[in-house]
Amino acid sequence: MSLGPFSRQEHLVITTLGLEFAVAELLGGALGIWLDKKWETSPWMLVLGVLGGFALGMYRIIRFAQEMDRQGKTAEKENGRY
Amino acid sequence: MDVTESLAHHILDHNWGLSWGGIPLPITTHTVTLLAVSVVLILGLSWAVRPHTSRAGQLLTTLLEEYVTFIRDGLVLPNMGQEGHGFIPYFCTLFLFILSVNLAGMIPGMKSANANISITAALAICSGGLIVYSGLKYHGIAGFIRSFIPSGTPWWLIPLIFPLEVVSTIIKVCVLAIRLFANMFSGHVALLCLLFMIFMLGQTHWAAGVGSALPIMGLELFMTCLELLVAFLQAYVFTLLTAIFAGAVIHTH
Repeated sequence: MSLGPFSRQEHLVITTLGLEFAVAELLGGALGIWLDKKWETSPWMLVLGVLGGFALGMYRIIRFAQEMDRQGKTAEKENGRY
Repeated sequence: MDVTESLAHHILDHNWGLSWGGIPLPITTHTVTLLAVSVVLILGLSWAVRPHTSRAGQLLTTLLEEYVTFIRDGLVLPNMGQEGHGFIPYFCTLFLFILSVNLAGMIPGMKSANANISITAALAICSGGLIVYSGLKYHGIAGFIRSFIPSGTPWWLIPLIFPLEVVSTIIKVCVLAIRLFANMFSGHVALLCLLFMIFMLGQTHWAAGVGSALPIMGLELFMTCLELLVAFLQAYVFTLLTAIFAGAVIHTH
Protein backbone atom coordinates (compact mmCIF):
# COMPACT_ATOMS: atom_id res chain seq x y z
CA MET A 1 0.00 0.00 0.00
CA SER A 2 1.44 3.35 -1.03
CA LEU A 3 1.76 5.86 1.79
CA GLY A 4 2.67 8.82 -0.43
CA PRO A 5 5.52 11.05 0.71
CA PHE A 6 4.93 10.15 4.38
CA SER A 7 6.18 7.25 6.45
CA ARG A 8 3.88 5.08 8.59
CA GLN A 9 4.99 6.94 11.71
CA GLU A 10 4.27 10.32 10.13
CA HIS A 11 0.79 9.14 9.09
CA LEU A 12 0.10 8.14 12.68
CA VAL A 13 1.27 11.49 14.05
CA ILE A 14 -0.81 13.34 11.42
CA THR A 15 -3.96 11.44 12.48
CA THR A 16 -3.19 12.36 16.09
CA LEU A 17 -3.08 16.09 15.26
CA GLY A 18 -6.87 16.29 14.80
CA LEU A 19 -7.50 14.69 18.17
CA GLU A 20 -4.87 16.94 19.77
CA PHE A 21 -6.67 19.96 18.31
CA ALA A 22 -9.98 18.84 19.84
CA VAL A 23 -8.45 17.94 23.22
CA ALA A 24 -6.65 21.31 23.44
CA GLU A 25 -9.94 23.16 22.97
CA LEU A 26 -11.81 20.91 25.40
CA LEU A 27 -9.14 21.32 28.07
CA GLY A 28 -9.08 25.09 27.48
CA GLY A 29 -12.88 25.18 27.76
CA ALA A 30 -12.88 23.09 30.95
CA LEU A 31 -10.25 25.35 32.50
CA GLY A 32 -12.30 28.41 31.45
CA ILE A 33 -15.50 27.03 33.05
CA TRP A 34 -13.61 26.28 36.27
CA LEU A 35 -12.12 29.80 36.40
CA ASP A 36 -15.53 31.33 35.56
CA LYS A 37 -17.07 29.53 38.54
CA LYS A 38 -14.21 30.56 40.80
CA TRP A 39 -14.05 34.23 39.82
CA GLU A 40 -17.70 34.62 38.71
CA THR A 41 -16.65 36.06 35.35
CA SER A 42 -18.94 33.93 33.17
CA PRO A 43 -18.54 33.57 30.21
CA TRP A 44 -15.26 35.41 29.60
CA MET A 45 -12.81 32.81 30.95
CA LEU A 46 -14.60 30.11 28.92
CA VAL A 47 -14.20 32.19 25.76
CA LEU A 48 -10.54 32.85 26.59
CA GLY A 49 -9.93 29.16 27.38
CA VAL A 50 -11.45 27.96 24.10
CA LEU A 51 -9.51 30.59 22.14
CA GLY A 52 -6.31 29.57 23.96
CA GLY A 53 -7.00 25.90 23.13
CA PHE A 54 -7.60 26.85 19.50
CA ALA A 55 -4.33 28.79 19.39
CA LEU A 56 -2.47 25.83 20.91
CA GLY A 57 -4.01 23.43 18.38
CA MET A 58 -3.02 25.72 15.50
CA TYR A 59 0.48 26.07 16.96
CA ARG A 60 0.86 22.26 17.05
CA ILE A 61 -0.24 21.94 13.41
CA ILE A 62 2.07 24.74 12.20
CA ARG A 63 5.01 23.31 14.17
CA PHE A 64 4.42 19.85 12.74
CA ALA A 65 4.18 21.25 9.20
CA GLN A 66 7.48 23.16 9.72
CA GLU A 67 9.16 20.00 11.00
CA MET A 68 7.91 17.95 8.04
CA ASP A 69 9.11 20.66 5.67
CA ARG A 70 12.57 20.68 7.28
CA GLN A 71 12.80 16.87 7.19
CA GLY A 72 11.71 16.88 3.53
CA LYS A 73 14.38 19.44 2.64
CA THR A 74 17.05 17.47 4.52
CA ALA A 75 16.05 14.30 2.65
CA GLU A 76 16.14 16.14 -0.70
CA LYS A 77 19.60 17.53 0.12
CA GLU A 78 20.81 14.03 0.95
CA ASN A 79 19.39 12.76 -2.34
CA GLY A 80 21.30 15.49 -4.21
CA ARG A 81 18.25 17.41 -5.40
CA TYR A 82 19.37 20.69 -3.78
CA MET B 1 -37.07 -1.68 27.29
CA ASP B 2 -34.83 0.89 28.99
CA VAL B 3 -31.96 1.42 26.57
CA THR B 4 -30.02 3.74 28.87
CA GLU B 5 -30.11 1.24 31.73
CA SER B 6 -29.07 -1.66 29.48
CA LEU B 7 -26.21 0.39 28.00
CA ALA B 8 -25.04 1.36 31.49
CA HIS B 9 -25.28 -2.25 32.65
CA HIS B 10 -23.19 -3.61 29.77
CA ILE B 11 -20.65 -0.80 29.30
CA LEU B 12 -20.07 1.01 32.58
CA ASP B 13 -18.02 -0.20 35.53
CA HIS B 14 -19.81 -1.67 38.57
CA ASN B 15 -18.60 -1.60 42.14
CA TRP B 16 -19.11 -4.96 43.82
CA GLY B 17 -19.73 -3.24 47.15
CA LEU B 18 -17.18 -5.33 49.07
CA SER B 19 -15.59 -3.98 52.21
CA TRP B 20 -12.94 -5.16 54.64
CA GLY B 21 -13.15 -4.06 58.27
CA GLY B 22 -15.52 -1.25 57.35
CA ILE B 23 -13.21 0.07 54.61
CA PRO B 24 -14.82 -0.09 51.16
CA LEU B 25 -12.64 -2.03 48.72
CA PRO B 26 -12.23 -0.77 45.14
CA ILE B 27 -13.31 -4.11 43.68
CA THR B 28 -15.14 -3.38 40.45
CA THR B 29 -15.77 -5.37 37.27
CA HIS B 30 -12.96 -3.57 35.47
CA THR B 31 -10.40 -4.00 38.27
CA VAL B 32 -11.24 -7.72 38.44
CA THR B 33 -10.79 -7.97 34.65
CA LEU B 34 -7.44 -6.19 34.91
CA LEU B 35 -6.30 -8.46 37.74
CA ALA B 36 -7.46 -11.58 35.89
CA VAL B 37 -5.60 -10.53 32.72
CA SER B 38 -2.47 -9.70 34.74
CA VAL B 39 -2.51 -13.05 36.55
CA VAL B 40 -3.09 -14.99 33.32
CA LEU B 41 -0.26 -13.08 31.58
CA ILE B 42 2.21 -13.46 34.46
CA LEU B 43 1.53 -17.17 34.98
CA GLY B 44 1.14 -17.97 31.28
CA LEU B 45 4.29 -16.16 30.18
CA SER B 46 6.33 -17.51 33.11
CA TRP B 47 5.33 -21.00 32.00
CA ALA B 48 5.86 -20.25 28.30
CA VAL B 49 9.47 -19.03 28.68
CA ARG B 50 10.60 -22.17 30.52
CA PRO B 51 12.66 -24.64 28.46
CA HIS B 52 10.30 -27.00 26.66
CA THR B 53 10.97 -30.43 25.17
CA SER B 54 7.67 -30.86 23.34
CA ARG B 55 7.22 -29.44 19.84
CA ALA B 56 4.22 -27.35 20.92
CA GLY B 57 6.25 -25.82 23.74
CA GLN B 58 9.14 -25.03 21.41
CA LEU B 59 6.69 -23.43 18.97
CA LEU B 60 5.35 -21.26 21.79
CA THR B 61 8.87 -20.15 22.70
CA THR B 62 9.57 -19.32 19.04
CA LEU B 63 6.34 -17.32 18.87
CA LEU B 64 7.34 -15.31 21.93
CA GLU B 65 10.78 -14.66 20.45
CA GLU B 66 9.12 -13.47 17.23
CA TYR B 67 6.89 -11.18 19.27
CA VAL B 68 9.83 -9.59 21.10
CA THR B 69 11.71 -9.22 17.78
CA PHE B 70 8.65 -7.51 16.25
CA ILE B 71 8.44 -5.03 19.14
CA ARG B 72 12.22 -4.40 19.05
CA ASP B 73 12.76 -4.13 15.29
CA GLY B 74 9.34 -2.88 14.25
CA LEU B 75 8.42 -0.40 16.94
CA VAL B 76 11.19 0.56 19.36
CA LEU B 77 14.50 0.75 17.48
CA PRO B 78 13.22 2.56 14.32
CA ASN B 79 11.71 5.29 16.50
CA MET B 80 14.03 5.50 19.50
CA GLY B 81 17.32 4.37 17.97
CA GLN B 82 19.88 2.39 19.93
CA GLU B 83 18.83 4.28 23.10
CA GLY B 84 15.58 2.31 22.96
CA HIS B 85 17.21 -1.00 23.92
CA GLY B 86 16.68 -0.39 27.64
CA PHE B 87 12.97 0.29 27.13
CA ILE B 88 12.09 -2.86 25.15
CA PRO B 89 10.66 -4.72 28.22
CA TYR B 90 8.24 -1.85 28.86
CA PHE B 91 6.99 -1.84 25.26
CA CYS B 92 6.64 -5.64 25.19
CA THR B 93 4.56 -5.48 28.39
CA LEU B 94 2.51 -2.52 27.19
CA PHE B 95 1.52 -4.06 23.85
CA LEU B 96 0.62 -7.46 25.29
CA PHE B 97 -1.26 -5.98 28.23
CA ILE B 98 -3.39 -3.60 26.13
CA LEU B 99 -4.07 -6.33 23.57
CA SER B 100 -5.06 -8.85 26.27
CA VAL B 101 -7.38 -6.36 28.00
CA ASN B 102 -8.96 -5.44 24.65
CA LEU B 103 -9.44 -9.09 23.73
CA ALA B 104 -10.79 -9.93 27.20
CA GLY B 105 -13.67 -7.59 26.38
CA MET B 106 -14.59 -9.81 23.43
CA ILE B 107 -15.14 -12.85 25.69
CA PRO B 108 -18.86 -13.19 26.57
CA GLY B 109 -19.48 -12.22 30.18
CA MET B 110 -16.31 -10.15 30.48
CA LYS B 111 -15.91 -6.43 29.96
CA SER B 112 -13.26 -4.47 28.13
CA ALA B 113 -11.50 -2.54 30.89
CA ASN B 114 -10.02 -0.21 28.27
CA ALA B 115 -13.52 1.20 27.74
CA ASN B 116 -12.89 2.99 31.06
CA ILE B 117 -11.07 6.33 30.80
CA SER B 118 -9.44 5.87 34.25
CA ILE B 119 -7.60 2.75 33.09
CA THR B 120 -6.42 4.21 29.77
CA ALA B 121 -5.40 7.36 31.68
CA ALA B 122 -3.28 5.23 34.04
CA LEU B 123 -1.63 3.55 31.03
CA ALA B 124 -1.04 6.95 29.40
CA ILE B 125 0.49 8.30 32.64
CA CYS B 126 2.92 5.35 32.62
CA SER B 127 3.83 6.18 29.02
CA GLY B 128 4.13 9.88 29.90
CA GLY B 129 6.46 8.92 32.75
CA LEU B 130 8.58 6.91 30.32
CA ILE B 131 8.73 9.88 27.90
CA VAL B 132 9.86 12.25 30.67
CA TYR B 133 12.31 9.68 32.07
CA SER B 134 13.92 9.06 28.68
CA GLY B 135 14.31 12.83 28.20
CA LEU B 136 15.88 13.25 31.64
CA LYS B 137 18.12 10.20 31.17
CA TYR B 138 19.67 11.31 27.88
CA HIS B 139 19.68 15.10 28.27
CA GLY B 140 19.74 15.81 32.03
CA ILE B 141 17.36 18.23 33.72
CA ALA B 142 18.67 21.38 32.00
CA GLY B 143 18.85 19.72 28.59
CA PHE B 144 15.34 18.30 28.97
CA ILE B 145 13.94 21.74 29.83
CA ARG B 146 15.87 23.27 26.89
CA SER B 147 14.32 20.65 24.56
CA PHE B 148 10.95 22.36 25.04
CA ILE B 149 12.29 25.42 23.21
CA PRO B 150 12.50 24.80 19.43
CA SER B 151 15.80 25.76 17.82
CA GLY B 152 15.77 29.22 16.23
CA THR B 153 13.15 30.65 18.63
CA PRO B 154 13.83 34.38 19.31
CA TRP B 155 14.52 35.02 23.03
CA TRP B 156 11.51 37.28 23.45
CA LEU B 157 9.18 34.49 22.27
CA ILE B 158 10.52 31.95 24.79
CA PRO B 159 8.06 32.90 27.62
CA LEU B 160 5.21 32.18 25.19
CA ILE B 161 6.62 29.12 23.40
CA PHE B 162 7.85 27.27 26.51
CA PRO B 163 4.41 26.91 28.21
CA LEU B 164 2.87 26.02 24.82
CA GLU B 165 5.39 23.20 24.34
CA VAL B 166 4.89 21.91 27.91
CA VAL B 167 1.08 21.88 27.48
CA SER B 168 1.54 20.23 24.05
CA THR B 169 3.41 17.36 25.68
CA ILE B 170 0.67 16.96 28.32
CA ILE B 171 -1.97 16.98 25.57
CA LYS B 172 -0.05 14.30 23.64
CA VAL B 173 -0.29 12.03 26.69
CA CYS B 174 -4.01 12.90 27.15
CA VAL B 175 -4.62 12.01 23.50
CA LEU B 176 -3.02 8.58 24.03
CA ALA B 177 -5.57 7.86 26.76
CA ILE B 178 -8.56 9.33 24.92
CA ARG B 179 -7.80 7.52 21.64
CA LEU B 180 -7.67 4.07 23.24
CA PHE B 181 -10.70 4.73 25.47
CA ALA B 182 -12.83 6.20 22.65
CA ASN B 183 -12.08 3.37 20.24
CA MET B 184 -12.86 0.60 22.70
CA PHE B 185 -15.91 2.37 24.17
CA SER B 186 -17.44 3.30 20.81
CA GLY B 187 -16.99 -0.24 19.47
CA HIS B 188 -18.92 -1.72 22.36
CA VAL B 189 -21.64 0.94 22.15
CA ALA B 190 -22.01 0.27 18.40
CA LEU B 191 -22.34 -3.49 19.03
CA LEU B 192 -25.00 -2.93 21.71
CA CYS B 193 -26.92 -0.36 19.65
CA LEU B 194 -27.15 -2.83 16.77
CA LEU B 195 -28.54 -5.47 19.15
CA PHE B 196 -31.05 -2.98 20.60
CA MET B 197 -32.36 -2.29 17.10
CA ILE B 198 -33.84 -5.81 16.99
CA PHE B 199 -35.79 -5.23 20.21
CA MET B 200 -36.86 -1.71 19.23
CA LEU B 201 -38.17 -2.90 15.89
CA GLY B 202 -39.82 -5.84 17.70
CA GLN B 203 -41.70 -3.39 19.91
CA THR B 204 -43.34 -1.79 16.87
CA HIS B 205 -44.41 -5.19 15.47
CA TRP B 206 -43.19 -8.68 16.28
CA ALA B 207 -42.70 -9.47 12.56
CA ALA B 208 -40.37 -6.47 12.18
CA GLY B 209 -38.25 -7.76 15.08
CA VAL B 210 -38.08 -11.29 13.67
CA GLY B 211 -37.37 -10.06 10.14
CA SER B 212 -34.62 -7.70 11.21
CA ALA B 213 -32.88 -10.23 13.47
CA LEU B 214 -30.94 -12.03 10.72
CA PRO B 215 -29.55 -8.96 8.86
CA ILE B 216 -28.71 -7.25 12.14
CA MET B 217 -26.91 -10.34 13.44
CA GLY B 218 -24.91 -10.30 10.18
CA LEU B 219 -23.98 -6.69 10.87
CA GLU B 220 -23.17 -7.67 14.45
CA LEU B 221 -20.80 -10.38 13.22
CA PHE B 222 -19.12 -7.86 10.91
CA MET B 223 -18.76 -5.35 13.75
CA THR B 224 -17.33 -8.05 16.04
CA CYS B 225 -14.65 -8.81 13.42
CA LEU B 226 -13.99 -5.07 13.20
CA GLU B 227 -13.68 -4.95 17.00
CA LEU B 228 -11.09 -7.72 16.84
CA LEU B 229 -9.12 -5.69 14.31
CA VAL B 230 -9.47 -2.55 16.45
CA ALA B 231 -8.23 -4.48 19.52
CA PHE B 232 -4.97 -5.30 17.73
CA LEU B 233 -4.73 -1.92 15.97
CA GLN B 234 -5.18 0.17 19.11
CA ALA B 235 -2.62 -1.84 21.06
CA TYR B 236 -0.20 -1.28 18.16
CA VAL B 237 -1.03 2.43 17.86
CA PHE B 238 -0.65 3.09 21.60
CA THR B 239 2.73 1.34 21.71
CA LEU B 240 3.97 2.94 18.49
CA LEU B 241 2.91 6.46 19.53
CA THR B 242 4.65 6.04 22.90
CA ALA B 243 7.81 5.00 21.05
CA ILE B 244 7.51 7.95 18.61
CA PHE B 245 7.02 10.50 21.40
CA ALA B 246 9.87 9.04 23.49
CA GLY B 247 12.08 9.01 20.38
CA ALA B 248 11.21 12.67 19.70
CA VAL B 249 12.28 13.57 23.25
CA ILE B 250 15.56 11.62 22.95
CA HIS B 251 16.46 12.89 19.46
CA THR B 252 15.66 16.59 19.73
CA HIS B 253 16.59 18.78 16.77
